Amino acid sequence: MEFISTFANQMIVYATIYTLASLGIVITGRTGIFNVAAEGIMLSAASFGFMAAFFSGSWAVGFLVGALMGAAFGLILAFLHEQFRVNQFILSICLVILGSGLADMGYKVIMGIRLDAPKAPHTPILSVPLLSNIPILRALFSANAIVWLMYLLTFGAWWFFYRTQWGLETRAIGENPRSADVAGIPVRRIRYTATIVGAAIIGLAGAYIPLVITETYTPDISAGRGFMSIGIAIFASWKPQRAILGGLLFSAIEVLSFQLQMLSSPIPYQFFMMLPFFAVIAIMILSKKTIEYPASIGKPYYRE
Amino acid sequence: MENLLLEVRGVHKQFGAVTALDNVNFQVQRGSIHGLLGENGAGKTTLMNILYGLYAPDSGEIFLEGKKITIKSPADGIAHGIGMVHQVSTLVGEFNAVENILLGSGKARWKLPLSEERERILTLARDIGFDVPLDRKVKELSAGLKQKIEILRALRRGINLLILDEPTTSLVESEFRSLLQSLKKLTGRGMTVIFITHKIKEVLEACDSATVLRHGQFQGRLEKDQMTMEGLVKLMFMEKNIAVTENALPIINLGTSPAFGEPILELRNVTTRPAAGKKGRGLRDVSFSVRRGEIVGVAAISGNGEKDMAELLFKSSRIQSGDVLVEGKSILHKSTLEVFAMGISYTPEDRIQEGILNDGSLVENLLLGHQGESRFYSPLGTINWKTLRDSTQEAIREFSVATPDTELQIRRLSGGNIQKVILGRAFASQPKVLVTHNPTSGVDIATVEFIFNKLVQIRNAGGAILWIHEDLDELMLLCDRIATLHEGQLTGIFERKDFDKYRLGLAMIGGAA
Amino acid sequence: MKTSSVKLRETGRQVLIYLGALGIAFAVLALIVALMGFDVLKAFGYLLSASFKSLFGFQETIKKTIPLIFTTYAFAIPFMIKFFNIGGWGQMMMGGTIAAVVGLSLAPFGLPLGVLLPLVIIAGVLAGGLYGTAAGALKARWDINPIISTIMLNFVAQYFLNFIATAKPFKDPAEGYPITIPLPPQATLGFIGGFPVSFTFALAAIAFMIFFLNYTRSGYEIRAVGYNQMAAETYGIPFSRTILTSFFLGGALAGLGGTLEIVNIQGKLIEGFATTSGAQYGIFGILTCLIVQGNPIGIPFAAFFMSVLLVGADSLQRTMQIPVELVFLAQGIIVLLIVSFREFMNAKKK
Repeated sequence: MEFISTFANQMIVYATIYTLASLGIVITGRTGIFNVAAEGIMLSAASFGFMAAFFSGSWAVGFLVGALMGAAFGLILAFLHEQFRVNQFILSICLVILGSGLADMGYKVIMGIRLDAPKAPHTPILSVPLLSNIPILRALFSANAIVWLMYLLTFGAWWFFYRTQWGLETRAIGENPRSADVAGIPVRRIRYTATIVGAAIIGLAGAYIPLVITETYTPDISAGRGFMSIGIAIFASWKPQRAILGGLLFSAIEVLSFQLQMLSSPIPYQFFMMLPFFAVIAIMILSKKTIEYPASIGKPYYRE
Repeated sequence: MENLLLEVRGVHKQFGAVTALDNVNFQVQRGSIHGLLGENGAGKTTLMNILYGLYAPDSGEIFLEGKKITIKSPADGIAHGIGMVHQVSTLVGEFNAVENILLGSGKARWKLPLSEERERILTLARDIGFDVPLDRKVKELSAGLKQKIEILRALRRGINLLILDEPTTSLVESEFRSLLQSLKKLTGRGMTVIFITHKIKEVLEACDSATVLRHGQFQGRLEKDQMTMEGLVKLMFMEKNIAVTENALPIINLGTSPAFGEPILELRNVTTRPAAGKKGRGLRDVSFSVRRGEIVGVAAISGNGEKDMAELLFKSSRIQSGDVLVEGKSILHKSTLEVFAMGISYTPEDRIQEGILNDGSLVENLLLGHQGESRFYSPLGTINWKTLRDSTQEAIREFSVATPDTELQIRRLSGGNIQKVILGRAFASQPKVLVTHNPTSGVDIATVEFIFNKLVQIRNAGGAILWIHEDLDELMLLCDRIATLHEGQLTGIFERKDFDKYRLGLAMIGGAA
Repeated sequence: MKTSSVKLRETGRQVLIYLGALGIAFAVLALIVALMGFDVLKAFGYLLSASFKSLFGFQETIKKTIPLIFTTYAFAIPFMIKFFNIGGWGQMMMGGTIAAVVGLSLAPFGLPLGVLLPLVIIAGVLAGGLYGTAAGALKARWDINPIISTIMLNFVAQYFLNFIATAKPFKDPAEGYPITIPLPPQATLGFIGGFPVSFTFALAAIAFMIFFLNYTRSGYEIRAVGYNQMAAETYGIPFSRTILTSFFLGGALAGLGGTLEIVNIQGKLIEGFATTSGAQYGIFGILTCLIVQGNPIGIPFAAFFMSVLLVGADSLQRTMQIPVELVFLAQGIIVLLIVSFREFMNAKKK
């Protein structure tokens, strides 16, 4: 019982990283821009978000800086794509490189070499009264502030895309930007917005890792999760409600592979570390039939 | 001129070195159906795109109801009451009709009033005589239905000027008449319609007045009582020494065709699974043959199996039952190159997307389709560029391609020249059967004449041609027989002596032959 | 026919792009260096001259250029058909790892240099090639985006390398880090005048690339698909075959690069051998390729240029304690700017 409770708790904590990152990719992707720079954005957001929290003493400032960092990357991506017409994937790959370089360099320069790992301020846990006292449901009703934010953002994204006119128009851009343009929808403006907002959410995911999970910053802290979130966004068929499922699934796999390592077993631990990466590929193969893409994702659009 | 709704003065538009519109003037009266006539590349769509806000003019002024306006985006155009239905559908395939019509409608952004909108559309459609399924994904609907949805969408915006760009591309006679009826209903209520087309017959039938463009220049404006076939032909084609039929097609000397030989291409009860993409339909139990020295046309409305027919020989893996024989030999399980080696050549319908290596040189393009032939390789197996260059020179000469050299990037050629290169390439290996799909789409009239003459030349020398095309007028001009497809089934084979546009059109929409 | 003035203008544009990007990136670099409190001129001095001030510096530069040429080609070949092989790092590691496994496993048999070395090299090349083909196959069969699959496989390769380098028969007990015992000398290459013999392999790779792309049917098919995939398929070039071929070749070249690193430079399998000056060779390969837009002839020059910066970065860290990541960041900015300027110029031309 206790094991399940802890497992569920861990799963939701880790799921937040994946869900937020893939949500960000989904939101941007719905306007036709495939943001594969998540890993770089997360690294820079983690590094600078952590440092901001450390120096200000406030967890909220840390997340804010993380989100702003993400937004900055989103702005660069949108700007170079829309104004200069650079290929999205080349741009994203460059931003990954920029993001990781900036993260490590920034940390080394600002924090210098320290003998003890600096600690981040705590992110508060918010609990729903009464319900959080039931052992099985504790994981669901008692979680840190960002987990609640994740639920909110997921629901908000779903509502926006499927229950509002704005959302319909945004989705139209991802399906057929020419159709949207011809109908009078401001394609460029919405693309900018979606890319910046999406990247900001990815930034939140990045800042979450040092601020909530490890409580300190180390190089390469995202460990490939940004890339895996791309897989989740695809698996989610670019739908927010499926993104959270994907996030939970992948987090379960990650937590599981940790647990499996602990059990003494003849299988060398490196193979358990490989599990999540194989899982991404396996899941994409298995769910291939159910995956849809916004029809014009990855392709640029110009009027003339 | 009284009752002017729209006036355009001195509009000029340059795309790099190409002048699309040269100081064009244009006037439309309220409540009329005004035709904008010109051959491919005359500038009609460019002019309308400027009106609609997709392009910005380099110079010129637009007056709506006497007041000068600027249109910087489609939203502006719509705000001024201008709506456009493009030649290629601009609906979002994944959405249904209601969602598509709601797109860009502006109000109540934070809500999505799907059911109310549905009711309003239903009423409007009934009003003008449209019958459209509202709940299916648009990508599953026919071109004619999509067009109706686009018109409904424009009407829902409250426009008073409706621009239709080549609306009859995917319609047969009967559908054209019914569209015309609906348009007359609309103009009766004060709507104004601009009807873009390159078919003179349509202008004569449908329009109250018309403007003719040629090479981006204004040629003349005529009222209905001033319009004649000869007059319009002259305005459209002026100095070109091409005699044209009433459909603005070149008059071709058919020469003497040899007696038909034995069947060289035979389809026996062919059923295929659909080609990928939105045009895929799948053929169902199709049987006919093509003989030596014969041009057989296949007429179908887009989406009824024409693409499957065109690609049939080259994607034999799609054949589910039945067989296709070339000179008696089956093509089942043969790859594209193997079928080419049997003596078949192919020119696809979309030359830019499917036909050429756009940034490649002419020489590089010539190898495409022939990369399996040993004559282009040295004994060691390396590519022999010299032989290729010679072959390219030959093809350029044979097909009168206007180009300074073979190393030029193919995309720099005009559409007509590119089509000639593709045809030339198809003939580089002396094929026995040519399968060609819409070879004259978007091509200027001089090239159309050249291509038609070439096809006749091939036929008279004993070659066989399978010609898939949407345009009945063109098919009826040259074919010995025409087969019609509807929903993947063969609905009729007509001998030349029985060619009748109405009956052919009926067969294309599934009516009794 | 291009007139000479048009050609001159185009060359001028290219030069403008490169100089402009370099100028801005170096300005940013200078700003950061100054903010950190270092002497800007001194820093740039070390950065740009470290390769040329001493023979050792030049040798180090060549030692980095060689694997970089391989990982750049590894990215460049699939790039021609519009796919992004981010797996250069993983394919390089796989090549080196399998080469080491084969070399160490066959060591007890006392095979001569003429037999063992080719075996080891072929094993490494095939390992890299097959690892690349895995990503190509995943795309061909299940339509899995190669960006994701190659990155996932990178991580897998990283753990596999760690596994081999810490496993019982291979690990060097005297070393604390994941390092294997040295390869037998019959499985290694040496140095001439301080330069690794693998230099000749790099030259051979350049020649091969140019020949392959321009004079073979396979090379033509790859270029055709790169020009227009649909047209290529319409005329008998199956897309799946092209993906598999290009990913195999890319992976094989990266694998060869990794093998040569192990066999020539390191002499044993070391964790992190595929990394240099702050990041992986695979990443640097991508940057290098983007600088010259995948042009096979330009790649060796771009690789040399990048290596000069990398050697300079090492020198900066050693002498002035400026972190190598700073140069990495600058390189990222340079490439981003080059790519952006290039597109901007192209758009203006039209």
